[in-house]
Amino acid sequence: MRRYTRLYWEFAKSHMKVMMEYRIDFLIGVFSVMLEQFASIFFVKVVFDHIEQINGWSFYEILFIYGIAATGRSIHQIFFDNLWTLGWQYIRPGKLDRLLIRPVNPLFHVVADRLHQDGFGQLIIGLIILGTAIPQLDLVWGAAEIGMLVIMIISSGLIFVAINLFFATFSFWMIDSLPIVWAVFNMSDFARYPLTIYHKGIRMFLTWVVPYGFTAFYPAAYFIDKSGYKEFALWTPVAAIVCCVIAYAFWNRGLKAFASTGS
Amino acid sequence: MRKYWQIAKGRMQENTAYSAWYWAGTVSAVMRLLIIYFFWQAVYANQTTIQNINLETMLTYIVIAMLLQGFVGGVGNELAENIKDGQVAIQLMRPYDMIFKLFAVDVGSKIMYLIQGTIPMVLIAYFFMDLSFPKSPETIILFALSALIGIWIGTFFDFLVGVLAFWTVNVWGVRVLKESLITFFSGALVPITLFPDWLRIITEFLPFQAMVYLPVSIYSGLITGTEAYMALGIQLFWLVSLYVLVRVIWTQAIKQITIFGG
Repeated sequence: MRRYTRLYWEFAKSHMKVMMEYRIDFLIGVFSVMLEQFASIFFVKVVFDHIEQINGWSFYEILFIYGIAATGRSIHQIFFDNLWTLGWQYIRPGKLDRLLIRPVNPLFHVVADRLHQDGFGQLIIGLIILGTAIPQLDLVWGAAEIGMLVIMIISSGLIFVAINLFFATFSFWMIDSLPIVWAVFNMSDFARYPLTIYHKGIRMFLTWVVPYGFTAFYPAAYFIDKSGYKEFALWTPVAAIVCCVIAYAFWNRGLKAFASTGS
Repeated sequence: MRKYWQIAKGRMQENTAYSAWYWAGTVSAVMRLLIIYFFWQAVYANQTTIQNINLETMLTYIVIAMLLQGFVGGVGNELAENIKDGQVAIQLMRPYDMIFKLFAVDVGSKIMYLIQGTIPMVLIAYFFMDLSFPKSPETIILFALSALIGIWIGTFFDFLVGVLAFWTVNVWGVRVLKESLITFFSGALVPITLFPDWLRIITEFLPFQAMVYLPVSIYSGLITGTEAYMALGIQLFWLVSLYVLVRVIWTQAIKQITIFGG
């Protein structure tokens, strides 16, 4: 464990150097991600200029859902973004074979190979959204609530990671599963709004099959009493752990299948 | 036997790689339709009109805008790649105008996208979402014309963004920036008439509304009569200005690489 921490630090240090070398590009990346998020929030704001609530949820409550998703996603985007590239940067050019003979866990190596600068924009905007929404929510914030919020956000991030890891693993069989990863990732857009606005089938799907519901809506529902999901939301950290275990097991299977086809 | 099976398997993997992208695109588009549908249903749950727009017109607007936005991209990506890997130097030596060559590539892929991507989506949308058709043939012609101009404005703009690759390394960041600008100001998410006044006025001076908002408003009947012709005039203005800009900046950029090349 200590060895891996030190290794990661070494990797991260070299990324930082690169980032500082291309400072303007770093800023463009951060800024563009922030603008992207801002565009979709602005959309919600424009709609709310003309109505009071959507399905019983006010503007700031929807903002709160949004903020949890954005902050959770930033964990995924900063540290685990490289999973996207598994197919075309590692498997197709044969780079993965090189990693396999090194004395580190291949998943660790792939993940540590990149620290994604643009994720910091995501993190900043996520915190800004949460900072805007929370004071308007009429909630009592003690240490327990803040702790719970942090746990919920980390769980949200882990679910993003687990889902991407699971679908990226298909690359071991089909060389590059990027289209699948991308299509599944797009489903996280559903989670921006209260799941209660959707058809029951979609809700079930986002809870039990591809659990993006746990990245935003359920964590937010824990804090907003009237949603009726307060108790159910407590399962969020459990869902995160289960997802990670399943995804990692699947990854190991894929790795085995991949290693055995090698010439 | 085994090696031939490997060859067959290789081809299967290649084919799935292409069709996987197609299906991924289709699935994502259907999901967006679903989100749009349920979101606006919920928005209209407590009122019949917003700014005099009813649910049916709103859904028609949003869905057509979403479909049209799919065409508003262009060759910027490919141009940026060409610039990055130095291909551009070879391309410039070939006996064609590189700008037109890129546009030709773009037209080809857009026609394929229309057949494979848009038409199935339109069918799904019409059957399951009760969208409305324009009332008169005149509107349909005006829309077709306006949409075509809007797409070209988008193509020129995308080209300009692609040229930036001469000056920046983070092409991905610039693209996200461009996407959000377009999503934000083109009226692809919500009709611009819903914007707060100050922002609406800013938007009217930008080229983005000419890409999506104007054509789709003509389609859904938010803009009618003389106003529709005015809208076409605005679009033509942007079309010409952006084309001139494309030419000017391209000439500048070429000069720069010629200097680099020595």
